[in-house]
Amino acid sequence: MKIIVCVKQIRHTFARSSMDPGENFVGPEDTIHRVNPYDEAALGLAIRARKLFGSAQIVLLTLGPVIAEEDLRRCLAIGADDLYQISVNGEEGELDPWSKAAYLARASRELDGELILCGKESLDGRNGLVGAFMAHRLGLPFVSGISDLVNIEGEGSVKVKRNALRGTREIIECSLPAVFSVDLGSSAPEYPAYRQLRKAGSIPVHGLRFEKDIAPPKTIAVRTIAPRPRPKCVPPPDSGLPAFDRVEQLLMGSRVEKKGAVLRGSPESQVEGIMSFLEEHGFLDSKGKEASERQ
Amino acid sequence: MVLTAFDVLLIAAAVMVMLAGISGKVALPWPSGGNGARGGDWAGLVKYLVGHEPILKRRFAGICHLFIFWGWAVFLIVAVLAQFNFTLPSPVALLLAALLELLGILMLAGTLYFLARRFAARNGNTAPEGTVPAMAIMLVILVTGFLAQGARLSIMEPGFNWVAPAGSLLTCAVPGSPLFMQIMIRIHFFAVLLFIALLPFTAMRHVVFASANVLYRKKNSGELAPVSLDAGTYGAGTVLDLSWKQMLDAEACVSCGRCEENCPAFLSGKSLSPRTVMRGVFKQMATAGTGVGNHNGGLAPVLEDAVTADEIWACTTCMACVRHCPVFAEPMCEIIEMRRHRVMNQGLLPTEARSALRDLKLYGDTQGKGAVHRKDWAFNRDVPVMTGAASGVEVLLWVGCSGAFHPRNQETARAMAKILNAAGVKFAILGSRERCCGDPARRLGDEALFIDLAQENIRWLNQFGVEKIVTLCPHCLHTLKNEYPAMGGQYEVVHATEYVMDLLGQGRISLKYPVAKSIAIQDPCYLGRYNGIYEPLRGLCGAVPGMQLKELARNRESSFCCGGGGGRMWLHEGEGTGINKMRAEEALNTGIDIVGTACPYCLTMMEDGIKSIEADHQPKVADIIDIVADCIRLEVSVNDPSEGEE
Repeated sequence: MKIIVCVKQIRHTFARSSMDPGENFVGPEDTIHRVNPYDEAALGLAIRARKLFGSAQIVLLTLGPVIAEEDLRRCLAIGADDLYQISVNGEEGELDPWSKAAYLARASRELDGELILCGKESLDGRNGLVGAFMAHRLGLPFVSGISDLVNIEGEGSVKVKRNALRGTREIIECSLPAVFSVDLGSSAPEYPAYRQLRKAGSIPVHGLRFEKDIAPPKTIAVRTIAPRPRPKCVPPPDSGLPAFDRVEQLLMGSRVEKKGAVLRGSPESQVEGIMSFLEEHGFLDSKGKEASERQ
Repeated sequence: MVLTAFDVLLIAAAVMVMLAGISGKVALPWPSGGNGARGGDWAGLVKYLVGHEPILKRRFAGICHLFIFWGWAVFLIVAVLAQFNFTLPSPVALLLAALLELLGILMLAGTLYFLARRFAARNGNTAPEGTVPAMAIMLVILVTGFLAQGARLSIMEPGFNWVAPAGSLLTCAVPGSPLFMQIMIRIHFFAVLLFIALLPFTAMRHVVFASANVLYRKKNSGELAPVSLDAGTYGAGTVLDLSWKQMLDAEACVSCGRCEENCPAFLSGKSLSPRTVMRGVFKQMATAGTGVGNHNGGLAPVLEDAVTADEIWACTTCMACVRHCPVFAEPMCEIIEMRRHRVMNQGLLPTEARSALRDLKLYGDTQGKGAVHRKDWAFNRDVPVMTGAASGVEVLLWVGCSGAFHPRNQETARAMAKILNAAGVKFAILGSRERCCGDPARRLGDEALFIDLAQENIRWLNQFGVEKIVTLCPHCLHTLKNEYPAMGGQYEVVHATEYVMDLLGQGRISLKYPVAKSIAIQDPCYLGRYNGIYEPLRGLCGAVPGMQLKELARNRESSFCCGGGGGRMWLHEGEGTGINKMRAEEALNTGIDIVGTACPYCLTMMEDGIKSIEADHQPKVADIIDIVADCIRLEVSVNDPSEGEE
């Protein structure tokens, strides 16, 4: 039994524009390289499957250069046995889901995987297509967004649980080999023992080198529409300021410098100061006050 | 009594049996230093034995122990000296006789009390094994001693003798026959020999091992043993993985139960008891046939047989067990060793804490917000971020994860900035270069992660040449002050309350606006028990005009943990009642308006605890720094941005 888990390494930007307008851009320290959490959930499920099957080999499959080695090694420490990295001659930059699925499917066929797991979607792209395309390429059944592996049904068949909408859950029986995409929360997150982490450090990364697939992708994202900025209520900028300062004020969340004076001296004179300020600005009616005093 | 050659032989035999028993429990040669213990502190041991100070914390039993200890010491010395042929001048001899008589009576009283107490609390598990036989032998020794004295007096000088009141009274009941006297003396002598020979096999082994534990006590109690990451195996899976000092702890433990009486986990109904942890380690040492410091013993059972996972994870590392142990045993450190074994060897961290430590690894803080957002709390406030060398910066403000990210604790961070600005202190923060100090990782048993974070922090602190650090969180304080020096980070670290107290003392700030409320202090464990900082908190409360300072029933060294330390902040509290709820009830019963604390965990835990109790008058929970900042007199002009929100 061989379980293949496809893991995507992502460049995860966790700092969404700092509060400080002076630093309102994404810096190099705002990002980390990590393994897609959905794929980690898939690995967790693979470990559970191994327990159910009694014995199985779990193989990690990743596409493209190794950018999150530490996290990949963490996956090995958690329980994967091998790590395969696919590199494609002549392909550069981010691939589209169709081509990705093509290469991953080819590798899965070469590695002879019986159960192929991947995350439901990736934290950066959120297409959720690769699993389905892979199943199509391999000619295998596909269940999307499974949350649990219920049990094994005799020879070559498993029951999986899938979260449908609004709390409905389905139990699906599926023959093996098959491709499943895995939702978050399907299993408790595994924690690597440091001892395993040390051992995982010396597991070699097996390279798989493919030639570029000439077939053009069948689906292409032709246009991306950026989200509209969420409007935020800010007080109008001080119209007396020059344009540059007004723009800056808007960016700063319209922080207006408070004008005012500090009253000093004895408490009596301070009270007098406050009273005269209030009268001056019409908050207090000085005549009314006198009238009430007379009564 | 004059000893014959045969008697000397018997004494030698008894001493040999005793020594054989002891050496069976100790691997020789005795290791010195290392493993967090210092070389023998003889002066400390003498002071301890003479004064009995830690034992006297439990008043009555402590006094009885003192009597018995001094009785044995004086009688043994007199018995040895009596073998030499000399005569004392009459008044001295009379005085000595009176002293011995008095000591005998006190010892008898103490022994009877201890025996009675043992029988009163005889429910198997809690009583230490082997106390009753030892106490019974002691009783025989004392009774026969008095009877022999009575017989001697009725033979030699009948009538009442004021230096020996008990002996004289006994002359009425005791036959004045030399034979009876001889029999009593023989029984007395054999009982003493039996007591000495059996010493290592009864609870009396504490005479040797507790003394040794006092002698080799750690300089910084509660200090965790360092971990070598290249070791291949980590923490303690069996007793053989414990250091010799930790094994000595288990041998020295007399199972007195003071740890249990102060343990928040035990008192709130969790399965953990520091006493049973020590008993478990002790029993497994016996099973494995290993002695203190002997790491090549036979097959040892896994420690989890004796101490379950629930017990290991229930510890809040509040250090109450360590501080209250009269023989300086440290159950808490053993528990951390077991956590290390579970986490670093087996990956068995409790599920709910896994994501917290994952975030700590990825983003450098337990909340997973990311280092870039660390200075968000200071946005639009006059809080400089350290960029170059620390020249001209008086003090570095170490904000900590809670101060930087938790909305409630961010207020405290801003309050501290306000105080520092008001005092005109040139300070700076590390901003996005700060990482978690590593305390949660270390207490949860992931030493590798702790080392990662600590090295990253030390790298920047050293690069900036930071000399003085003021921390908002007691956990950061403890880590930076006591754990970083071993990793190459030497700084002067003070807690915010200490620092503000100093500012107040120097007159750099003054408190003006009164707060007419009563307040009681919830002493944070990592401030109080770990670092002995109790007074600045009270000093600050006293300095606030109109504030009335009260004390909770359990305070200072006996303060009750909020339940958030030792990584418990990220764990569920399934078993028993909530520790924070117990403490909140205590605060409620004190009838105060404010619970003052100086720790972000205490703040959160106490707030939650108080909210969970329905009462008409619920005290508010506040950080003392917040209170001080609210009543500070500002001498600076309004243009100061730190005042913008006032």
